[in-house]
Amino acid sequence: MKLKSSLAILGVALLASALAPPPAEAQGKAQPEALQLKVGDPAPDFKLQYFDGSNLKDVSLSQYRGKSNVVVAFYIFAFTGG
Amino acid sequence: MKAFQQNLQKLEAADTQVLGVSMDSPFANKAFADQIGVTFPLLSDWGGDVTRKYGIYVDKYKAPRRVNFLIGKDGRILEEQVDREAINPTKIVDACERKKLSR
Repeated sequence: MKLKSSLAILGVALLASALAPPPAEAQGKAQPEALQLKVGDPAPDFKLQYFDGSNLKDVSLSQYRGKSNVVVAFYIFAFTGG
Repeated sequence: MKAFQQNLQKLEAADTQVLGVSMDSPFANKAFADQIGVTFPLLSDWGGDVTRKYGIYVDKYKAPRRVNFLIGKDGRILEEQVDREAINPTKIVDACERKKLSR
């Protein structure tokens, strides 16, 4: 009798944990964290270098001001996909 | 970066310069550009100052998030693509072509 009731309690507990919503952090993964910089904000200026095969060349965002649009595409690491 | 290279003619025709940015060294980025056939500059944010300024540094990976910003001639952000969405730049290419038509 005692065994039966403790099994029933266990069953209820298991059912409750199965029905409980997943923890907030697991849910959060579906929605990417919003950026601080929003559409309409001024893009912060920068000056960075690239290697053209013989020299290091400077490129700044402000050099394109009034001349062309700029796509600034941040990627995670060289030699990875995308 | 390959996806931008594939759309480079369209983007250039719409007055748009493409710049890749990562925290790799300029020399690693040059080797990467050569390997995947990218002809636009891959800039080196060695140390991550610009990545932090843009609010997309991920401490866990010591690297930027994958984010594309389209910046207009006035220096303001016109479009953003974040993480997985940023792999396919169609939204940005379309936005550039719309701007070109409305000019």
